[in-house]
Amino acid sequence: MNGYGGKILRVNLTTGKITKEQTPIDVARDFIGGRGFGAYFLYKEVPRGADPLGPDNKLIISSGPMSGLMIPGAGKCDFTTKSPLTGGYASASMGGHFTAEIKYAGLDSIILEGISSKPVFLFIDNDRVELRDASEYWGKGTIAAEKQFKEKFGEEFQVAVIGPGGENVVSYACINHDFGRQAGRGGVGAVMGVKKVKAIVIHGSKSIPVADVNAYRVAGKALYKACKDASFLQEWIRYGTTVVTSWCDEVGALPTRNFSAGSFEDGKGLYAPVMREKIVITDKGCFGCPSPCGKYSRSKKYGSYVEGPEYETIGLLGSNLGISDIEAVAQANLLADDAGIDTISAGNAIGWAMECYEKGILTSKDTDGYDLHFGNIEATFDLIGKIARKEGFGALLADGVKKASQKIGKGTDKFAIHVKGMEQSAYATHNATAMLLAYMTCDVGAHHNRSWAITYDLQVGRDLVVPEKVARVIWLQNFRPMFDVLGGCRLQWVELGIERDLYIAALDAITGIHRDWNDYEMVGDRIWNLTRMFWAREIDGFDRRYDIPSPRFYEEAPESGATKGQITKIEDVHRLLDMYYEQRGWSKNGLPTSERLASLNLSELVA
Amino acid sequence: MTAIIQTSSGLKSYLDGKGEFEVIAGRTVFDTLVDLNIKPELIALVVVAGEQKSKDYVIQENDIVKVMAVIGGG
Amino acid sequence: MRLYVDNSKCSGCNACRVACSLNLFNENNPKKSALLVLPHFPSPGVYEVKVCTQCGDCAAVCPDEAIKQNAKGAWYVDFEECSLCEACVPECPEGVMFVKGELATAAWKCDLCGDCVDVCGTSALWISEKENAVA
Repeated sequence: MNGYGGKILRVNLTTGKITKEQTPIDVARDFIGGRGFGAYFLYKEVPRGADPLGPDNKLIISSGPMSGLMIPGAGKCDFTTKSPLTGGYASASMGGHFTAEIKYAGLDSIILEGISSKPVFLFIDNDRVELRDASEYWGKGTIAAEKQFKEKFGEEFQVAVIGPGGENVVSYACINHDFGRQAGRGGVGAVMGVKKVKAIVIHGSKSIPVADVNAYRVAGKALYKACKDASFLQEWIRYGTTVVTSWCDEVGALPTRNFSAGSFEDGKGLYAPVMREKIVITDKGCFGCPSPCGKYSRSKKYGSYVEGPEYETIGLLGSNLGISDIEAVAQANLLADDAGIDTISAGNAIGWAMECYEKGILTSKDTDGYDLHFGNIEATFDLIGKIARKEGFGALLADGVKKASQKIGKGTDKFAIHVKGMEQSAYATHNATAMLLAYMTCDVGAHHNRSWAITYDLQVGRDLVVPEKVARVIWLQNFRPMFDVLGGCRLQWVELGIERDLYIAALDAITGIHRDWNDYEMVGDRIWNLTRMFWAREIDGFDRRYDIPSPRFYEEAPESGATKGQITKIEDVHRLLDMYYEQRGWSKNGLPTSERLASLNLSELVA
Repeated sequence: MTAIIQTSSGLKSYLDGKGEFEVIAGRTVFDTLVDLNIKPELIALVVVAGEQKSKDYVIQENDIVKVMAVIGGG
Repeated sequence: MRLYVDNSKCSGCNACRVACSLNLFNENNPKKSALLVLPHFPSPGVYEVKVCTQCGDCAAVCPDEAIKQNAKGAWYVDFEECSLCEACVPECPEGVMFVKGELATAAWKCDLCGDCVDVCGTSALWISEKENAVA
């Protein structure tokens, strides 16, 4: 199949059996690849009610048709599973070089099934696939472990590895790769850890089949030229995602002290030019990327190397914790990466704990003796490690803010900032209704990657609640994640503003199948509805209550900053949902109707 | 005394499809954006000669001022 | 004329290597490219790119005279003439002379097509006249 590796690799960790099957043409036709394969295999093969940490859950790792090709951003790998954090759908997208290697090894997806009785790593070298003993690696941080695998097998091997966080099954443990990339959210690392898979180590030297090589070379070069001609390429390379830090602070989107405000009075120490000057050494990119957003850094204060911090980490481990020193944030980033836990969820958990402490709901007796005021850098460093080891106070935080606040009670759930149990990423949404709706309806929980609409909110009116805003969020949700389905990165389109039709010429030439963006968006719509049905199937009584955001965004106006005194009304939260369900063709309670499912050819799959 | 404003692609609709506009120097970036009917709060980044400037920066003669809106986001 | 690289600008993306394999073999396979992108991580945290300097040492030792000059004056391997003897490999000061029988039936090297330069987003690669041309 042109554009594909060709095979699905299944690894049964309980029995040790390893099998390969042809990548199904009809699944490739209807779900394309990447996140689409993840959603399909998740719904079809993980039985209803499966324990996310049990043998029936699967970790589905997929590349897409873009992966490993000469297309800007051809380096994203999807990790899909039933989430131990939320109990629903989890999909995390990891950059770097892993996805390309999957294709070069003649594969499209790797599906981990069952549970191993002892620590193993999956070794893939072209057609040679083996489960090997991982006891000498188990317990190691991700940085040391990846270094060891590379020294043993060679630089041409790509490594995806968990740290102590995944080994200890922290709800938001992540999977790490290439010394700085993660499949971050939803606990995909916990699933890999409970299955006792320390790492996947892969090398491939096969060529990826292409339908029309000449047309592909022309189209690929045209995409690179468009990126190189983009007027803000240099600025994007210089700052990466940190380019928005100062602006988010200015418009009230920078999460500050557990999202109690959207501006941080000490934020200047976190801004992009300060970071660039103080710590950045290399602009590090993913496979095929002409606009490397990775800011590989060295902190002189702490002497450590880390890729980042990216904007999300600056928000959640910086301003959200009242920390204004970019070097401290870089160090916290490194500690989280090495431990293998998601910086966004960890920052939320620690921020929640700090608010509990400041309100006197938790005292230093509860917090292992830490004086857990906002701004406490040393406590933040220590807690990251404790969360990864589920040690002391870290054990409570390792379950995520929803469960932690349920356990503590005393009204702490009012400031547990999450949707569906997934902690909110780094945009404060006190008064930005499209972005708030984006967080409410994102298919994995409160994450921004599906739909980012903050400038749009500012353009048309922050507090406006109109059908056009809802339509915009829906369009973004159908379109943006298509890059995850294709196994590539959206940021060249998103940040550099290159013409999206340039991708069509390249993808047509690679796959030999003509699709325009309407066709791709329909696939996006199909996946969106399928994953919604997964939530409905797995969560008893799943309905619109699970789309309601944290009360912080409809009850507590910030007392300072750009959004001082501004808050969304709960009536508007419900109006947004009413319009959203209507435009999606869902019931008033937020479930896809049978007509909607039929129109997307999903009736049989979800029967 | 004139200078040039260059905008990121998402802002072209504000400048009749153009990406570049000649402006009078000597005024702040903020005021100049207001005159161009671009809401200053939409602009995430202001760069002059490779350096980030705030919106209070006073535009000098012959400056090329790049203003970027983050349309697509993260 | 030869390829040059500024390592400090390399982001490790490998687009150059895919473009190269497409030029040499019409195949999408960076393992069949004629330049190397070597990561040095976690420390010191930089990439090092090895490119052909068109020194001609490979051609000088080839017993089959399979390494010839093209219209740009760049040394390239004539696949028909190469016997995979590997005499050229240790001669290359940059380690960018490749003989891998399991991947190709001839040696391969950079022919200065320039496609790598076209796809390098950070402009780390460029082609220009040799700085110290030897007569």
